[in-house]
Amino acid sequence: MNPVAGGSASPGGAGGPGPAGAGATERALDRTIGRVLQWGIGASIALLVVGVILMIAGGIDPLGPPPPPFDVAALGRGLRTVQPEAFLWLGLIVTIATPSLRVIASLVGFGRAGDRRMVLVSAGILTVIVASVALGSTVG
Amino acid sequence: MIAGLLMAVSGAGAGLFGSLLGLGGGILIVPLLTLGFGLPLREAVGVSLVSVIVTSSAAAGVYLERHVANLRLGMTLELFTATGALVGGLVAFALPDRVLAGLFALLLAYTAVIMLRRSLSRSSGSSPEASSIDGAAGAAVAGPTAEVGFVASLGGPTYRVLRFPFGIVGSIFAGLVSALLGVGGGIVKVPLMNLAMGVPLRVATATSNLMIGITASASAIVYFLRGGIDPYIAAPTAIGVFIGATAGSRLAHRVDVRVLRVLFIVVLAYTAWEMFTKALS
Repeated sequence: MNPVAGGSASPGGAGGPGPAGAGATERALDRTIGRVLQWGIGASIALLVVGVILMIAGGIDPLGPPPPPFDVAALGRGLRTVQPEAFLWLGLIVTIATPSLRVIASLVGFGRAGDRRMVLVSAGILTVIVASVALGSTVG
Repeated sequence: MIAGLLMAVSGAGAGLFGSLLGLGGGILIVPLLTLGFGLPLREAVGVSLVSVIVTSSAAAGVYLERHVANLRLGMTLELFTATGALVGGLVAFALPDRVLAGLFALLLAYTAVIMLRRSLSRSSGSSPEASSIDGAAGAAVAGPTAEVGFVASLGGPTYRVLRFPFGIVGSIFAGLVSALLGVGGGIVKVPLMNLAMGVPLRVATATSNLMIGITASASAIVYFLRGGIDPYIAAPTAIGVFIGATAGSRLAHRVDVRVLRVLFIVVLAYTAWEMFTKALS
């Protein structure tokens, strides 16, 4: 799971002219966030693969009738009864949520480091995500 | 189920070529699904956004662990790309497919021209990328317009961030493009950071990958909640793109991409024409 061409480490922002002692903290944060992203995408791909295998087993044609609309209440039941749609929906949710998990991890990391401005930036991004959820479900 | 396998294989091809040529898969997935499988353009955009999140997040994870991406700069700019993407996601549902097809044709034509210029400059022996990296980074360190305060803290050990307000406007535009057309927007963000803001190309590329995830997810949420993402189509396509992009990153150093690039330019130009025709039909 490495869609990046090889190459040695090169400084991006860590160790830059940020707050004193930011270099080591940000390097640790880089590692933590990197793992959050890799684990999140690993989990989403695993769920999508299970869903596709179940699709194949069930003879579902992707260009045929669409699946039932997403329903939170039906998700748990679908997972228990091993329905392909449940694994696919959950895989999509984990995929879409993974970048937001990374922002939450950043908010916590910057908060621990006392970097208030980056905490505000992280909170601002999460506010936009919450607005997406609110506007996506209500407007239109 | 053959359609599902075809989607996975096509997605793998898009991910492979995108990875080898330094483009995201989105620019190929949308035309592939609309022209190849007859999907409505908005539905193809929703599927493409999912694929873009998968590949960019996986890549960004590796870039961060190698400390190549600039987390502070990426997060600050993605506040604006995400805002642009949210607006774009809402606007996309108000625009007719024909308008989206026309916009996509313009994006494809623009990308083809950029790639053609790169090919021509490489074949003539000069490397505008290399000079732009050094030039931009050098100016960033020594330039009189280097920013101060919070913006100064966004730079790296060998460069400073320039023209931050321009970066904000460009980021909002990149978010809009991503949400409307289902692409990562790296084609906007990388030149923006590298040429306008003085960020070295390698850092700009890695940071762009980091930003793409949250940008695409801000609009993907809107598509998802409005029933714009079909999981039967999104899953095989995203898995294929992921496998293709992973293979491409491993092959990148062993493949001579010159011929591939010329072929890709022809494909982009042809696809632009097809999309343009679709917009007019």
